[in-house]
Amino acid sequence: MAGLDPAIHAFFSDVGGASVDARNKSGHDEIGLFMLEIRNLHAQLKDGREILKGIDLTVAAGEVHAIMGPNGSGKSTLAAVLVGRDGYEITEGSVTYLGHDLLAMPADERARQGVFLAFQYPVEIPGVNNMYFLRAALNAGRRHRGEPELDAGQFLRGVRAKLKLLEISEDLMQRAVNVGFSGGEKKRNEIFQMAMLEPKLAILDETDSGLDIDALRLVARGVNGLRAPDRAIVMITHYQRLLDYVEPGRVHVLQDGRIVESGDKSLAAELERRGYGAVGDAA
Amino acid sequence: MSTLIDFPVKPETRPYLDAFRGIAGEPDWLERFRRRSLDRFAELGFPGRRSENWRYLDLQPLAKNPLLPAARGHETVVPAELLIEGRGVRLVLVDGRFAPKLSRLDLPEGVWLGSMQRAIAELPELVRAALEDIAQPFAALNAAFFADGFVLDVAPGVVIDQPIEIVHLASAAGSLHTRSLINLGAGSRMTVLETYIGPSENNARYWRNDVAAWQLGEGASLTRVALVEEGADAVHLGEVAATIGAGATLDGFVLLLGGDTVRHEASVTMTGDHAHCRLDGAFIVAGREEANIVTTIDHTAIGGTTSELIKGVAAGRAHGAFQGKIIVREGAQQTDARQTSRNLILGRRAVIDTKPELEILADDIKCAHGASVGELDEAALFYLRARGIPTEEARRLLVEGFLREAVDGIAHPAIREHLLGRLGARLARLESE
Repeated sequence: MAGLDPAIHAFFSDVGGASVDARNKSGHDEIGLFMLEIRNLHAQLKDGREILKGIDLTVAAGEVHAIMGPNGSGKSTLAAVLVGRDGYEITEGSVTYLGHDLLAMPADERARQGVFLAFQYPVEIPGVNNMYFLRAALNAGRRHRGEPELDAGQFLRGVRAKLKLLEISEDLMQRAVNVGFSGGEKKRNEIFQMAMLEPKLAILDETDSGLDIDALRLVARGVNGLRAPDRAIVMITHYQRLLDYVEPGRVHVLQDGRIVESGDKSLAAELERRGYGAVGDAA
Repeated sequence: MSTLIDFPVKPETRPYLDAFRGIAGEPDWLERFRRRSLDRFAELGFPGRRSENWRYLDLQPLAKNPLLPAARGHETVVPAELLIEGRGVRLVLVDGRFAPKLSRLDLPEGVWLGSMQRAIAELPELVRAALEDIAQPFAALNAAFFADGFVLDVAPGVVIDQPIEIVHLASAAGSLHTRSLINLGAGSRMTVLETYIGPSENNARYWRNDVAAWQLGEGASLTRVALVEEGADAVHLGEVAATIGAGATLDGFVLLLGGDTVRHEASVTMTGDHAHCRLDGAFIVAGREEANIVTTIDHTAIGGTTSELIKGVAAGRAHGAFQGKIIVREGAQQTDARQTSRNLILGRRAVIDTKPELEILADDIKCAHGASVGELDEAALFYLRARGIPTEEARRLLVEGFLREAVDGIAHPAIREHLLGRLGARLARLESE
């Protein structure tokens, strides 16, 4: 819980408290399990080009991991495979999420089971209102957990509180999903959705790219507010920048489809100094 | 039948000729008009696919299986979900005939609204002047057979914001021929919602042949929204001919949601300078349904504007089409016309045709048109699924979002919400088709 502002954490736990309780209860049974276990994962594109060449990674509840690496190392592919995006073929290995075979689930089910991806390039969806979309997403999760759907009032209260924290204007929510949003607004909207959906496993794909320092601080505040003992966060990033604000417990270096080095947060600073070029030599 | 016909009669018209009896007690001019129209229909026959305005519609099934004019149906109830809320003016036609018990005609001053039959008696000059179009085959057939319809006549300067609701309810098999007229005096303003409904259960095959004339005086403004939710086996052919005077505004919207074969045609002529015309619309077809939206906008005067946004969705083995012709006559300078047709295909066997057509004879004008036919955006679909929204619901959200752009253009909030509700209900059914 390093770097966590206690007020923010209390605030996040407050809103939608009922579902937090419910999750803690079910989370109880999962103690002792890793949240995410990736074993010897190989994935290739439809054209046969292998991108992931044997990834091994375990993430426990409450942990924050950073996956760093140069462009083309497979970082975004790893995120895509974990959330079930089409276009990749898994040729070897396994991914276990809370004891379930993650790769066997369709993408929408993974999300309902608590896996969240903050997109590197959030998609614009003309004609679909942000609020409407978010409520549909929240209620899909609630139906899945056997909880009653949120009424408009409950939903709006949750939305307002969390918008404020990320300094997102309410007007933006009345627009179509990501349409006419600036780059920074799109990224903040991703973290806002994450705050609303309260995932168990959050994967942030280059969330820091294209953000100015103020937006980065806001995003980091949002992410820190979501750190929780029953939630794991995996941050994929090219730069150390975000890690100055959201401190990871573990840092992994991905290169040419494999994790070539792992360490504590000091590894990120070291990478910043010596660059990715030297990693292979060290490994 | 005693009519002497000395020219070749198209065979598919024969059953209709034989069924013609006229309507007892009508004025002579109307009786003559009906016979003239019938002759015209016999000569023209059903439009073939070589006829440009009908090229995307297959009328063979209708030509082969005649649907003779239906008898008066019984008054029934209008499903509440198909009405807008409130206690506004409502005129209901059952099987093409005025149904007084279902109607609510508390009319504001300066507004005449009633059945066509009553208008023939009370406003003969107005009706007679408007009944002249027998150039189109089905308008001619309609002229011979129409049993009733409605007339809305608004005095100059009368401005009414509360929409007038016209409900066309079908309960019988056969063909229903309705003839209607909207006449807006100079500077008047009206909003009309027309809803076309048929039985969804008993699969009675009927053919609605709806013909209307709209006349907008100088500076008048008409908003007319049509919602078509005919029965599953129904044929709906609607034809509107409108003239809009100087500085007048016509704001039309059609939403075609149901019926086996549905066609809506609007022909608009700008007779005065600086007239404005907006014709937007949307259709959803599934199964083996067909829907066509056909528009012709004729700029004959200076400074007219036209704007069209038509959105189509086709699923299953359905077929949709939009044909939009914009004519800018010599001398119709400073015309500004935009036409957009956007279409979405769901599945591999659905088809949508779109055909913009510009005929420009003036040089100082702006005309733009764009057309596209595409599939659902996979990236958007994944984004919604990645938030936990089940695939079917995600697809529905995207289709609704796609069509919404057209519906959002409806200025009247109650009508807009009503149509969005009907659209949502239609899309919910689409999943099981």
